[in-house]
Amino acid sequence: MDYKTEVVIIGGGATGAGIARDLALRGIPSILVERGDFTSGASGRNQGLLHSGARYAVYDPEAARECVAENRILRHIAPHCIEPTGGLFVSLPEDGFEFRGEFIRACENAGIETVSLSPREALALEPGINPLLIGAVQVPDGAIDPFTLVVENIRDAESRGAVVFTHTEATGFLRDGDGVAGVVVRDLLEKKEFTISASWVINAAGAWANRILALAGLSIPMSLSKGSMLITNTRLSQRVLNRCRPPASGDIIVPNSTVSILGTTSLRVDAVESFEVLPEEAAFLVYELSLLVPEIKSERFIRAYAGVRPLIRSGETDDDRSLSRGFSLIDHQKENGISGLVTIAGGKLITCRLMAEKTVDFLCEKMGLRAPCTTAEQRLPGAGIGRSLQDRLLHMRREIPAARQEILCDCELVPRDEVEAVLKEGKVRELRDILHRTRIAKGTCQGGFCVYRLLGMLNELRRERNRGDSNEILMDFLEERWRGIRPILWGTALKEEELIESIYKGLFNLSGELSGGQEAGERGRR
Amino acid sequence: MKRYDLIVIGAGLAGLMAARTAVEMGARVLIAGGGMGALTLFGNTIDVLGRIPPGEDIAEGMSGFIDSFPEHPYARTGWEGVEKALDAFQELFPPPYHFSGVTRGNCLLPTGAGTMRPTFLIPATMASGVGMMPASTLVVGFRGFKDFQAETVSLHLRCRGAVIPFPRYRMGGMTAPAIARLMEDHSFVERLGEEIYQRMEGERFIGLPAFFGLREPVAAMKTLEAATGARVFEISILPPSIPGMRIYNRFHERLLQRGTAFLMGTPVSEAIVKDGRCRGIIVKNAPLGAGYQADRFILATGRFLGGGLWAGIERIVEPLFHVPVAQPSRRGEWFKGRFFDPEAHPVSQAGVETAADLRPLNEKGGIFLENLWAAGSILAHHQSIEEKSREGIDIATGYMAARQALAS
Ligand SMILES: Cc1cc2nc3c(=O)[nH]c(=O)nc-3n(C[C@H](O)[C@H](O)[C@H](O)COP(=O)(O)OP(=O)(O)OC[C@H]3O[C@@H](n4cnc5c(N)ncnc54)[C@H](O)[C@@H]3O)c2cc1C
Repeated sequence: MDYKTEVVIIGGGATGAGIARDLALRGIPSILVERGDFTSGASGRNQGLLHSGARYAVYDPEAARECVAENRILRHIAPHCIEPTGGLFVSLPEDGFEFRGEFIRACENAGIETVSLSPREALALEPGINPLLIGAVQVPDGAIDPFTLVVENIRDAESRGAVVFTHTEATGFLRDGDGVAGVVVRDLLEKKEFTISASWVINAAGAWANRILALAGLSIPMSLSKGSMLITNTRLSQRVLNRCRPPASGDIIVPNSTVSILGTTSLRVDAVESFEVLPEEAAFLVYELSLLVPEIKSERFIRAYAGVRPLIRSGETDDDRSLSRGFSLIDHQKENGISGLVTIAGGKLITCRLMAEKTVDFLCEKMGLRAPCTTAEQRLPGAGIGRSLQDRLLHMRREIPAARQEILCDCELVPRDEVEAVLKEGKVRELRDILHRTRIAKGTCQGGFCVYRLLGMLNELRRERNRGDSNEILMDFLEERWRGIRPILWGTALKEEELIESIYKGLFNLSGELSGGQEAGERGRR
Repeated sequence: MKRYDLIVIGAGLAGLMAARTAVEMGARVLIAGGGMGALTLFGNTIDVLGRIPPGEDIAEGMSGFIDSFPEHPYARTGWEGVEKALDAFQELFPPPYHFSGVTRGNCLLPTGAGTMRPTFLIPATMASGVGMMPASTLVVGFRGFKDFQAETVSLHLRCRGAVIPFPRYRMGGMTAPAIARLMEDHSFVERLGEEIYQRMEGERFIGLPAFFGLREPVAAMKTLEAATGARVFEISILPPSIPGMRIYNRFHERLLQRGTAFLMGTPVSEAIVKDGRCRGIIVKNAPLGAGYQADRFILATGRFLGGGLWAGIERIVEPLFHVPVAQPSRRGEWFKGRFFDPEAHPVSQAGVETAADLRPLNEKGGIFLENLWAAGSILAHHQSIEEKSREGIDIATGYMAARQALAS
């Protein structure tokens, strides 16, 4: 079936989701297409820092001011996606005090509140910090849960009439003379092609922006930088910890519910899908950040992952088209004489609402529509519902009678009922979609135990039956899990990996070679 | 202070087998283990070398294998050594709960993932799984028991599956050890048999999760067979393993009877070495530390999971004696790119290298300590997970290490 709408959005990351919501709130019909599931791009592969702006204060005051404003707005519209942890910029002896003075002044100018702390005060707040520190500055940094943020934006947009297709890739443009009149898309699971005609197409494909533009013979000057991060098994600090020095690689630790995220590296890459974390990147992060928190040397890690940042080369862009140095909104009519196509790229997770506002403002102006943006005031649907482990425990105790309580994921305490509720919503198209929407497989064992159980449950509900071999799904999951844990396998993590290998390759015999050749056994093969 | 003829460090299958062998030879033995080892996690059947196709003679397969892998632990024991050790193992398990092979080769057993898995010796409670015919088999799982997914098993075996509530208790969140205790209650098993019978559609085989009790699993099986009129068999499940615990318990019982001392729960923290010999070990049980002395020592502490090996960020070490560990040159080479690469990850081959008599080697290729032997999965140059050789290596090298040690 082919579709027709006003605006097509390509990309279901934070930017695309924010645009869908903004359009819906202003009453403009839209269809969003996302090649994977939501947050399969940078929005699911970042450090989850709710910037106070401090990190940019010295070198990019404009970006800092944007962060200050958006930080405030997000605390209002999405409190359930945020943990207002606060943050410290820690000076180690090798950092000296030179940067610190400049830093405090710059924060002041950008409107970021700072409190200077003595080493003793800082250690009282965060006993894990390197005791050799010479001082610290407190700022209002925080942690943000990008998954919930994106999914909630989508939910809100859908409830207001937006249409969303996941696992659907934009593969070409519908043309109308010199202009673009919609997109050709492909449902990757059903393997079916269809078209969506629209007055406007918004390219919100993040690092993939040039892949989309190539379909129209266009490109923008953009380079790609990979950033790798490590997740610890325990939460190392209550607050975000930064080194108080010019921003560099391996200088920030962001707490996130029960874990901490160490980041990041920065490596130029050619391919957008450069998600492999090299062993030396893992070693680098451990070494650098153990200077900030010494116990990192003996910490157990549960996963490594990487995201790709699209860097828009500002030297080659006109000043007037970048609304901010943080992100760019490109009108391809003005730029290349192709009407009906807009690219929005760059920015941060936490400026995505602003990016959406600017994009939709631009469209409204072109359409001659006077509809003000309300995304800064209207709260997300889930605002007011907790998300922490304690909240889940409370919820479980309240909602689920003890006798029926079956926990699928022991690390993160995900009850079977929660998964059934997600399935009932009807949005789930593959295993990974369930994993995105619950905490399953996010804990210490990274799904080593619970995915077997989850698949069993799906088989029981006959959902996967017509999808064929559930062991193939299991093996694909374990392959993907492997990419995340391979870089951090030493110490206790390696020890526990022996357990997982013994189960799946040993006990269950899901491996490459197999003797026998009985039909049932045959199916365990790749 | 009491002095032992032999101290075995590690209470996994290799350590137990070494202790048992030494005791049979009349030695005074102390066995010191941190935990109960991989045995109680994954021990179900006795693998020797699963990569030999069923139907092929195992003796022939093994000699070919040993020729191709001269550094493999089996190259130290030889097939004769494996055979003798397996006989000694089987002696410990007289009927009804006995281990037997179906032929002179491997057989295939269904698993908790619905795959077929090759193995060599199987316990009586799993025997009917070998002849199972999918068209007339019912696989039964239990609501709330999540470590065995009957629908997954039946989907892949292409037989019928059923998920039923536990009789009497009808509650979720049950673990295998808890159910195994219930299975020791005859009336519970009878009820269970009736409930299964209700679900049957003329099947002749019933597959159930491996939790038929610790003490009299065959009696439970017989009760279920009487109630259902079908052949009943256990299928391996996620850890922990009840069949593995049965093996541990049998060793434990027999060793205690023969006066072996067990020191469980606290890992050995230190080895006292002087003049090229090990003099004793220290077990620190804060605030006290106790020392134990012996003439000979066997290192059977397993791999990473057991604590026999420890991986730092860059190097792998043997933490107790600091025996050199053969390993890839850097961490970048520890793993294959894919989890399911048909070849084992190079790190799986890391381990302790030994002389022909199983004494670990030092850096120069000489004997590391005069009176130290190594046994089990800590040995280098095997791929026990991929080869399906875990129990075989444990039993054969445990047996051999003890004989070598006592011969000295
Ligand atoms: C390493 C790293 C750390 C970061 N840390 C932070 C942080 O701590 N705080 C912060 O605020 N920001 C952070 N960011 C930035 C933030 O993650 C991004 O700015 C933000 O997620 C971008 O969202 P997006 O929607 O523009 O892009 P994406 O999330 O990448 O979304 C683009 C989407 O387009 C889809 N797509 C691509 N091609 C097609 C197609 N042909 N058809 C359909 N769909 C397609 C992709 O699947 C993808 O889901 C970080 C970024 C990186 C890389």
